[in-house]
Order: sequence, then structure tokens, then C-alpha cells
Amino acid sequence: MKLTIPYYLHKAGAGFPSPATDYIEEDIDLNVHLIKNVPATFIIRVQGKSMVDVGINDGDLLVVDKSLTPKNFSTVIANVHDELVVKTLVKEKDKQFLTSGSKEFSDRILINEEQDIFIWGVVTYVIHSVH
Amino acid sequence: MSYIQYTKKLALVDCNSFYVSCERLFNPKIRKKPVVVLSNNDGCIVSRSTEAKALGIKMGEPYFKAKDIIIKNDVQVFSSNYSLYGDLSRRVMRTLKRFNSDIEVYSIDEAFMDLSNFSDNEVEQVGREIRETVLKWTGIPTSIGIAKTKTLSKVANHIAKKKQSGVTSLIGIENLDPILEKIDINDVWGVGRQMTKFYQKNGIYNAKQLKNKSNTWIKKSSNVLSSRTAMELRGVPCIDLEKTASKRKSCVVSRSFGKRIEKFQELEEAVASYCLNASEKIRSENLVAKAVMVFVRTSPFQKQFGFYSNSRTVDFPIATNNSIEIVKNALSVLKVIFRKGHRYQKAGVMLTGLTDAENNENLFSSAKDERINRLMRSIDNTNYRYGRSTLSLASAGVRKSWSMKRDYNSKIDTADFYCLPTIRA
Repeated sequence: MKLTIPYYLHKAGAGFPSPATDYIEEDIDLNVHLIKNVPATFIIRVQGKSMVDVGINDGDLLVVDKSLTPKNFSTVIANVHDELVVKTLVKEKDKQFLTSGSKEFSDRILINEEQDIFIWGVVTYVIHSVH
Repeated sequence: MSYIQYTKKLALVDCNSFYVSCERLFNPKIRKKPVVVLSNNDGCIVSRSTEAKALGIKMGEPYFKAKDIIIKNDVQVFSSNYSLYGDLSRRVMRTLKRFNSDIEVYSIDEAFMDLSNFSDNEVEQVGREIRETVLKWTGIPTSIGIAKTKTLSKVANHIAKKKQSGVTSLIGIENLDPILEKIDINDVWGVGRQMTKFYQKNGIYNAKQLKNKSNTWIKKSSNVLSSRTAMELRGVPCIDLEKTASKRKSCVVSRSFGKRIEKFQELEEAVASYCLNASEKIRSENLVAKAVMVFVRTSPFQKQFGFYSNSRTVDFPIATNNSIEIVKNALSVLKVIFRKGHRYQKAGVMLTGLTDAENNENLFSSAKDERINRLMRSIDNTNYRYGRSTLSLASAGVRKSWSMKRDYNSKIDTADFYCLPTIRA
């Protein structure tokens, strides 16, 4: 991941310099804002529609931070029977389960390390193209 | 008499079956299966999972030799995907740097860390925290060995590899002899194949025996480096952490071809393309080269076609990192060493006499040089953004029929926008 090179709008030269020059320093670098922990953050592409109701569409990009601990209703990447999938984590009193975000899917998968069902990473942002 | 006792504590962090662990990260289906990763051109086995080791597959074994075991046991095979491994390696190293200790990146999957500022009894716990953090953040399992010297931390790592916790500290253990006795002499860090033979001839079969040999004997019968190893085994630090990577003196790019090639044009494309890679590499390190060496050879195992191998060096009038000039010179010497009728298996280029680009101004420097530098910079930037070889020289070819064999590539690259891992929702 690379930072962009700062650039200046105004050329040095004769005449009155643009008063805006002082305020324009560099491009906005989304990496800085969307990626808090660089070595632990992966960009992953989504395939499938099970999470449409929480705003994750087929082909979207996910920013996934592996270092975070998920909260209740966090969107997560989970290992379910040795396949990585996108799910919502729901925490209840003494158990945690995974569910997909769509109303059409009413699945509940209990988190159970022994049966190879565990959290892989926490989704922090969804990048969706609307153009 | 009272004084502050300062014990050095060095950790060796080593990623377990690194290439295999990388392949497993986005492919949990192979999490518990035997897995091997092959070298360039799918030649030899260069990384094995624990399960693959248990099947008796040897490190460095040619792929075709292991094929029977592989098929019979459904071993998962991968071509090496170095851009993925490189990205994950950088992530592991960056994670280690968060622990505010000096670190020496020793290889793609190993690093030494100086943990001297932790107390003797907490250092093993620190090791466990490091291991857990790297595993959680990057998904890569590691083994960590901690001891007073680099050589002993390698020994500790050897033991850690076999433990569930993955961390072993030898700090505070008075008598290391029972441990060193179990370490074969050829597993001691810094003891190569030649030295192993020599030691065995002299009745030294394990680390303890080397440790207890007198310095005078070792110095007399071999060299200073060997006595350094023995001292380190005694717990006397002799080899420091190398914190800044020393600048390289040369840069080699060479590959075996996916198939044997006979046409000059194909060889030309390969050599031009290696030159581009090498010159991009030295530009990224801000170096210039004094000369370029080109070599070609046929396969040494297909003697029926006759063996041919040759190389030639050409000096640049002025040290340079300009791709165009490097390619031009390399191709001119390739013409000299090319012999028709051979089936070439390998070619390569080596840029030598590397020095800092800054000190390269001279009498003959001109505005034209600056323009070329700018051109090179924009080529590098474009290729960084849009992927390798977006901008290239026509001489490097477009089809690249000579390029490497990678039949089992996982095609995932966490650092390439167009090869990101895909996950089902």
C-alpha cells in the first residue's frame, strides 16, 4: 500500500500567487483513513448475495482487519467448515453465532472452534461501486 | 561488589512452513491436509506442511521423484507464488516491529529480535505474546527461540518447533549441555556441509561436543568463524544484530525457462526482460551499475544434445541504471555468446559494481541524463500502480512463451488489486 505524492496546484512564477495554494497540501489518501493497522488489514472481494441486506453486494470490496475483536453485530469473515465466508456475528448471553444478513436466509451457525467454526477477521469498511 | 547484570536476550522468530502457511491463509480447505510448495518452474519441493513431512517427503526433493507419494496421499501441490509470500513476509516483519525492539530481518521467513530490555523471567511470556500477535494479525504461525546468543536462539527455535506453545527460552538455564547434546552438528547455525564433514571426522557429532572443544583447537584446525560459533554456543555473544541491511554489490535475475528454447529472438526477449527487472530493482534501491554480465546455458542433464554454457561481461562507459542502456548492452553481448542449434534451459543477467546513484554525477552528465532518469521514474511509478510490465520495452517481448512454468499457482496476491482473494457471501 502506497501513499500518494503531495502535489501543489500552483506553479511558482511571476504574478500574484493563488491564495488557495497555502491550503492545498496533498491528495486525500484513503489508506490512511480506512486502514488503521496496515500489516493486519487485507482487501477482499465478495462473491455472492447472502449479505445484501446489510449492504454488501456481489463484487464489493471489503476492508478486513484481522487484529480486531468483533462486537455484537459486527460483520466478520469466518471459517465455517474450512471455507471462508462473510457473516454477521450475533452475541447472546452464553453463546455466539453467525448469521447472513439477508432475510431470505434464516441461518444460525454456532461458533465452535472444535468444529472449525471461528472468526477469521473483522470487516471495517465496504467499498461499493455505484457508477 | 554490586553491579547491574545485563544479559543479552535474542529471539529468533521463524515462520512455520512459511510458503505452505501463506497458501493456507485464504484456502482453509487445505488447513489440515499435507501440502507442498514447488520452486521456480515447479522443479523441487521447497516448503512442506507437517503432514507432508510425516509422509517422508524431503526438503529440496525434485517434484517428479515425490510424485508417487503425492498422488497416493492426495498431497496438495502449489507453484511458488512469491508476490503473495513477499507481501505476507512484510506484514509479519512489520508486526514484529511493533514490539519496540531492534530487529534484523534475516530471510523471507526469519527475523532476530533483541529482547534484552525485558527481564529474565518475563521474556518467555513476551515471546508468547509476539507469537500470538503475529498469528492473529497475519494468520502466519511462528516458532520463537530465545537465548543469550544468535546461535543459541537457533537451538532454542529448533526445540520450540516441536512444542505446542511454539516458544522456548533458554534464558536462566545454567547447564545447556543436555539440550546441546541432542542438536546434530549440521543443525548448528553457521555449520555448513563442508564443516559438518570435517567435524564428524574429528569426532564432533553434536553441539555440545563443539561447545566443549578448546578455542585453540578450533582456530588451529579451521577458522575464526568456527570459533565464533563455539563461543556463541557457550553463551558469549559474538554475532550482533544487523539492523541496517548492507547495500548490495550486485543484482542477479536469472530463471530457468518453462520449456527449452532455441530461437535467438526468444532468448533475446528473456534477457531483455531480466534486464528490466534487474534495473528496476537497482533503481528502487537508488543504485547504479558499472557493468552487466549475461549468461546462457543448456541443461546439464540432457547431455545427448551437447552441453553449452557461456557468459560475457560488458562495462558501461558511465555507471547507469537506465533500462534502455542496460538492455542494449546486454543484447549486444548475448549476440556474441549465442550459438545456434542448442536447446537453452537457463539465462540470466547480473548487474555488478553497484554504487550509490547520488555520487554518480560526472563530467559527462548532461540534461539528457536527467530526462532519462525522469522517464525511468515514470515507468517505475506506472508499473507500481498498474502492475509489472504495464510499461516495458518492445525487446522484452509481449507473448513471453519462454516464461516460467507455474502450473499450480494459487493466483492470489494480497498486494495486487487485480488478484485479491475472493470470499463467498
